[in-house]
Amino acid sequence: MFDLFQDPLLLARVQFALTASVHYIFVALTLGLAPFILFGQLGATLRRDEARMRAVRFWGGLYVVNYAMGVLSGLVMELQLALNWSGLGDMFGYAFGAPLAVETMGAFFVESTFLGLWIFGWDRMSRWAHLMCFAVVTGTAYLSAYWVLVANGFLRYPVGGLRIEDGTARVSDPAALMANPSTLMAFGHICLSALVLGSAVVIAVSAYHLARRNDPDRMFGRGIRWGTAVFALALYPTAHVGVMQFALYDRVPPGSGLTYGPEEIAAIEAEGSAPGFFDAFGDGLMMGSWALMSVITLVLLAVWLLRRLDRWRGVLWPLVLLPFLPYGASVGGWVLRETQRQPWAVEDLLTTADAMTDMTPSMAAVSFSLFTLAFAALATVTYVLLVRYARLGPELGPLAPLRTKGPAEGDDAELPTVHTF
Amino acid sequence: MEILAVVLLAGLVSGYLVLAGCDIGLGMLMPYVARTGAERRRAVSAMAPYFLGSEVWLLGTVGVAMGLFPVLKAEVITGRWPVFVALLAGWLFRDAGLWMRGRMRTGAGRAVCDVWIVGGSWTLALSLGLVVGGLLGGGSLLSPFAIACALTAVALFALRGAAFGAERLVPAAAAEPMHRQSPSPAPDGVAAGGGGAVPGRLPGGGASGSGAGGARTASGVPAAVIGHTAAPGSMPTESAVSADTAARATRPLARAALAAALLAAAASPLPGGVAAERPLAAAATALVVLGALAATSGLTGPRLSRHTSAAALASVPLLIAAAVNLPVAPVPDGIAVLFYSAVAPLVPFMVLGQIWLYRMVRRPAPASGFFG
Repeated sequence: MFDLFQDPLLLARVQFALTASVHYIFVALTLGLAPFILFGQLGATLRRDEARMRAVRFWGGLYVVNYAMGVLSGLVMELQLALNWSGLGDMFGYAFGAPLAVETMGAFFVESTFLGLWIFGWDRMSRWAHLMCFAVVTGTAYLSAYWVLVANGFLRYPVGGLRIEDGTARVSDPAALMANPSTLMAFGHICLSALVLGSAVVIAVSAYHLARRNDPDRMFGRGIRWGTAVFALALYPTAHVGVMQFALYDRVPPGSGLTYGPEEIAAIEAEGSAPGFFDAFGDGLMMGSWALMSVITLVLLAVWLLRRLDRWRGVLWPLVLLPFLPYGASVGGWVLRETQRQPWAVEDLLTTADAMTDMTPSMAAVSFSLFTLAFAALATVTYVLLVRYARLGPELGPLAPLRTKGPAEGDDAELPTVHTF
Repeated sequence: MEILAVVLLAGLVSGYLVLAGCDIGLGMLMPYVARTGAERRRAVSAMAPYFLGSEVWLLGTVGVAMGLFPVLKAEVITGRWPVFVALLAGWLFRDAGLWMRGRMRTGAGRAVCDVWIVGGSWTLALSLGLVVGGLLGGGSLLSPFAIACALTAVALFALRGAAFGAERLVPAAAAEPMHRQSPSPAPDGVAAGGGGAVPGRLPGGGASGSGAGGARTASGVPAAVIGHTAAPGSMPTESAVSADTAARATRPLARAALAAALLAAAASPLPGGVAAERPLAAAATALVVLGALAATSGLTGPRLSRHTSAAALASVPLLIAAAVNLPVAPVPDGIAVLFYSAVAPLVPFMVLGQIWLYRMVRRPAPASGFFG
């Protein structure tokens, strides 16, 4: 531990790994839950069905609580890139920074604004306009993921007709940057795995309530069936697209050779190659979870065939723990992707050590302690809240329609637990 | 091509300061204007749509600076690492407080969130002021000039928050029946008497006369009148105390901002002061800020403060652009094509979403909701 605080590079890397993992576990649920809410709301809107709309409010409440932490961790990550990894910005500011600029300036801007409209728009706008707001939220959430992966894919597989001028990389072929195979495959993998994760959460929450024989408006019966269907459909393609990426790892990226010659690259890789423990850990966690999920899918489908999916407690109770598997697999997958690239920040072009801001150990330690502690606290609170609202059910969710009037102005007589918009 | 990018960047900063000024300023003033639990809840629900809609402008600024102006970003951040860490921490805790306050079931939980919101708002205002002061002063963070800039920023944000609070802290339950019963705005004579409408809660309110009077709701009805003449059936205890307190605060805050800005102007020739590349342009822009504040410091203060605080905050990036030669390199063609072709299709959504959001929430904030 003492050594850790003496080494700014290690600290900055651990800090980034923690930030990115925490960010991703919230983002993955955002991506995974959004289609369920969107199609749920579409169904409710088409049928003018209040009962289905209550289900939308329930899942939407979880979505919004989760979204908040995704934003918080995302902005810390964005500023951390600027503060701790200025070497990356100095050399690859354009190639790496421009996709992130599109993400923040375009996709996230629209996503956050329309989520605000959706949150405040219940009963204030027409039901179709309200549905369209969430459609925009869903679309821009996936668009955000794509642009972040354009930036991330560039690190793994630098493309774009690069040339180095005055110490900065210039992109002459932006289309190649956008169609980077490393980006497209990772995007497919991320979308599918987010659906696996989102459906696992829908299954788990539904299973909890079904096991307690609580199924208001039959929303959890629908939840577990839709969840199982999406889970089963997305699970195999997730692994398939994921494995396709390995072929790319053996190719020399087109940008290779601009800053270092082949011998230098070989020397750097020989000297700084990762011990392999984290690679193996990430790989094992991801693959192991996937194998378990495959078995569970078969069980779920068999139980569904027997028409007992919403009844057998022996199946329902263990399903409450199901989300641990896709969450573990997601973090494992990112650990694998990021450690495999080491010792490079940008494959064959810039080492991680050179990418870091010149920081004193004390600066690094302050930043690390502050944000790690804050993150741990906030992530914990968010998870406690998510679990609490998942268990409370639709009547008491954060987006639930108002049933009782709150106290008028009692001084600190405070909060009705029921809210509305 | 680069002029477009520079205008975009300056526009993002201006937009952020003007919009976020509302929720940051109100967050700073929360301990002063919102004393009871219900008032604090209303203050947070008033801030919520604004912070959702405004922080994206700051994140957009960071993104554009990183992607299109990496040299500028490096220049701005280098040497100001502690300020940016403080800014980030303030931002993080403030957002966490705003998001989570409505989820807390205990008074202690809400109190913690309130501390985060208020502390985070102050931290944001101070660190943004220090960044501006450092940029204008060419580096040094703790020069008298930079400190005066930070004070100006704090007072400006607070002024904007007070103007915003005067409009939005009117109880919705009291305001909405009014919309139906008397759609026509109250005559100005009534508005000018504003302050002391709630008996027993506002010592000296009536005497403040025109100084406190102009607080208006979105419908043009003076805040205090609504509090006073709440329609039968609405909750009689709901009052517009917070809105009135905020309205009365605008004039002293405008004077404080003016004083701090003059102090900064006086400190600018000192060591660490303004390294003005274009003194005339800088002075002209600074005069806009001072003029706006001076207009608000007088008798017509509260009514104008919404616009003058916006004008003063929006001139800040212009002031920086006028005073300092920031390293703005032309955006390379490939990157410009990538960025503009990707962002252009989203621009209609951005414009529509922002206008729709602020229009939809223009009525007084509800007493409770997801936030609050």
